[in-house]
Amino acid sequence: MNIAQNKNILIFLLSSIGLIALPHITHIPIAVFAFFYLLLSWRFIGIWKPNWLPDKLTIFFLTVCGLALLYSQYQGILGRDAGTRLFITALALKLLEIKSERDLYLITYLAFIVAASQFLYEQSLLMAAYILIVCCVLLATLVCINSKKPQTGAALKTASLIIVQALPVAAVIFVLFPRVEAPKWMLFNEHHQAKMGLSDSMEPGSISNLGMLGELVFRVKFTGALPPPEQRYWRGPVLSRTDGKRWTQVQDMRFGLLLDNPVIKGPAYQYTLLMEPQDKNWVFALDMPAEFSLSLSRNANYQLITSENPDKRAEYKITSYPNYNTGYITRTEFKDTTQLPGEPSVKIKQLVKRLQGFDRTPEHFINRLLNHFRIENFHYTLTPPLMEENPIDTFLFETRYGFCSHYAAAFVYLMRVAHIPARVVTGYQGGELNKAGNFLEVRQADAHAWAEVWIENKGWVRFDPTASVAPERIEQAINIEELVSGGLISYASTSAAAQKAFNLLKQARQLWSNVDYNWQRWVINYDNKNQSGFLSSLGITDTIAMVYWMVGIIGLITALLSWLLLHQEQKNTSPVLRAYNRFCKKLVKHGLSRGKGEGVKDFAERVKIKLPEQAENIDQITALFIKLHYGKNATRNDLKQFDKLVARFKVYIRVKVC
Amino acid sequence: MDKPVKLNQRRIFILPTHRGFNFAILIALLLLMAFVYNNNLVYLLAFLLASIFFITILHSYKSLAGLVLQKGQSNAVFAGEAAGFDIHINNPVDEERYYLQIKLEEAESLTLKPQSKACVTLYSPTRKRGWHTACTVTISSTYPLGLFRAWTPIRFNLKALVYPKPSPRELPFPETPSSLARQGFSRKGADDFYGLKEYQPGDSIKHVHWKAFAKGQGLFSKQYGGDSSAEIWLDYDNAPGHNTEERLSQLCRWVIDAGRAGIPYGFSLPGLKLSPDHGLLHTRRCLEALALF
Repeated sequence: MNIAQNKNILIFLLSSIGLIALPHITHIPIAVFAFFYLLLSWRFIGIWKPNWLPDKLTIFFLTVCGLALLYSQYQGILGRDAGTRLFITALALKLLEIKSERDLYLITYLAFIVAASQFLYEQSLLMAAYILIVCCVLLATLVCINSKKPQTGAALKTASLIIVQALPVAAVIFVLFPRVEAPKWMLFNEHHQAKMGLSDSMEPGSISNLGMLGELVFRVKFTGALPPPEQRYWRGPVLSRTDGKRWTQVQDMRFGLLLDNPVIKGPAYQYTLLMEPQDKNWVFALDMPAEFSLSLSRNANYQLITSENPDKRAEYKITSYPNYNTGYITRTEFKDTTQLPGEPSVKIKQLVKRLQGFDRTPEHFINRLLNHFRIENFHYTLTPPLMEENPIDTFLFETRYGFCSHYAAAFVYLMRVAHIPARVVTGYQGGELNKAGNFLEVRQADAHAWAEVWIENKGWVRFDPTASVAPERIEQAINIEELVSGGLISYASTSAAAQKAFNLLKQARQLWSNVDYNWQRWVINYDNKNQSGFLSSLGITDTIAMVYWMVGIIGLITALLSWLLLHQEQKNTSPVLRAYNRFCKKLVKHGLSRGKGEGVKDFAERVKIKLPEQAENIDQITALFIKLHYGKNATRNDLKQFDKLVARFKVYIRVKVC
Repeated sequence: MDKPVKLNQRRIFILPTHRGFNFAILIALLLLMAFVYNNNLVYLLAFLLASIFFITILHSYKSLAGLVLQKGQSNAVFAGEAAGFDIHINNPVDEERYYLQIKLEEAESLTLKPQSKACVTLYSPTRKRGWHTACTVTISSTYPLGLFRAWTPIRFNLKALVYPKPSPRELPFPETPSSLARQGFSRKGADDFYGLKEYQPGDSIKHVHWKAFAKGQGLFSKQYGGDSSAEIWLDYDNAPGHNTEERLSQLCRWVIDAGRAGIPYGFSLPGLKLSPDHGLLHTRRCLEALALF
């Protein structure tokens, strides 16, 4: 029978292919996805109704359809998205044309490529485990084909055995295989879906519902102590220009490069930042970053910019000094940071006057203003009302509900009305401490905006007006989990068990997060820098040494495996004989050894004379042995019983007392 | 060789199959993908497949190692027929051997359960009379993944005797001067049944009285009237034919026919003379003489 037509093998192969393509649902257009599963189900039906399978002409037509579909979705052939779709469509079409074993192999190989393309989209530990399992099923299909016996259970066992044996070798190659960065021309320009996160502008009035995104932005691992929560401000873009509604960055920052370095003093924080893939090349550092990786540079706004592709995870070593003085302010900077879109309203002028903004020191005014936010009826909310016209006036005098951007914008605006240089700084604030891994996780939900004011002799000083309204927002960062669970806790507080369960859940989550962190750090982000760092710590410094080590370790593993495989060959006696030998061994201890060439029955008779009280057992064992070893219709049960009898057999010899 | 052959590292060869080469191309493709996208998980998958490729060599070896092959018997055939050689395969270990392929001219496949034996008959076509020697027996397996083929060529001393091809022409048995006067009578008498005698090895199977055997009365041979009276000499010099082979072919035909009919005949080749006799043994001796002439 043609193995390619075997029902079980086909079911096995098609199911594994269905599983392989499944996670692609989030990245490929739904039309391509539907096309794939349509053809897959067609092929599935074809297992039982071979006549329903398409003929050559129909396949040609379907190929044209598939190509048209690809063309309509993506004008191109190269690149991640186009490549993935192309392979998926090719796989689907090939499925309809399974004639020989060769086709099965081609399909399996294509499926491996589709599985690999999955990693270009998602690299989580769970995805890796999923793909590993599916690969195991694919290998099992190959085992089925080559054993010509569609015993899926046995095939899966063999496939997983091979994978388990291959994993250590793969791990060794993974660690020691030299990583070389691909040249830039080989990198395809990918147009990714816009990631949520910080943007280079801010328009508080137009947002009425700030999404609370749990997506991870970066992780920070400190070498020494952690900074206190009120110092965890991760600096992002600085917004100086405003038209009254919208705040944007100053485009021209060339003069900034001529600025002197800020004076730094006091304690420093050393940390490693692991950035998740981003759209923008911003790196979020604590104020004031003084020493950092070579790929980073600090712009005039003291924000770190990376020269690497932000699309990839990257690791940066940074040292920050929380005590700093940026010194003088340049003329352009002064102009930029005191710029107002127009004449402020009378109400605002009155407010500034009331808070003594025009006649007292900036510090005094700042304190009065922060106090104003605190004592007046201002509220912190994530769902503020829309403020289309004059958002700052509306916020300050009417709605008084807002989140960080509203407060920062209003604060900066009022400063500028009082002729004090001020600007909005956006970035992240806080971060959740992962106790299991002792690192901070900063998520999109931690996005924040605060203000910076230039003060004589102090330089740029950070003020966070949101902190006066909602101090808990700063001191103990609100994050998704707590917001969501807030309700849970309030009504479940009566039940200690629920609280305990919640804590356990949180612990589990943190533990998982730690595993994930290490996965990201050591597996996903294991690049040439990491590799040379790690290997030189082991004393492996150059490529040739790496190759030697790789060959050496793999040789060792191979030797071990071959020994295991050959060792199994040694015990080449049947289970029946082995059990019988055990029985004989028991007797040898008491001086009854079976002679060479002595018949089993003769031996039994001889033993019975010595051990008459065991006669029945000996007879049973001997009879079963004869049946199992020489007979034809012995069953598995006989063997079981035989084993049991031998195991139970004990030689009692009465101690003769003289 | 005649001794049993145990397959071990000295005998088993392993090389990648076409599929194995394609698999290597797949790995290269994945490596390229990993390189371009600098994606460690694709690297990891490529390395895993490469390791699997590597580990499979051991499994391929294991699919044959430990098997014991032994040559069995072979039967004589007429030229033009395929000679069959029995090969006994013993799987002494606790693991199943999947889809072994054993090949002389055409491949036979079998699956061996743990601790089991099997016998395969391999055929090799013959053309000329005489000793036919078969070349190498190859046992191979692509288990488990089909990426590698492990094989062992074994040169067993496989020999089968090939009788001449019987001539298609049905000629009457030659008139021989040495036969007795009642030769015409004897031809008829060959069909006259006159009794039963106890079976002796060498009696034609055709003459066994199967009905009596089926009834459990013992093995008897039917005795025909002509058995003792008719006498024919099959002589090389009297055989028609343009050359040696044609003559031998005709002689072969007569030997078979006479054997079938149960007629005793004498047989003579230059340098060999077998006195008149009948039975399988006699037929075989004559055929062997023809084969090796």
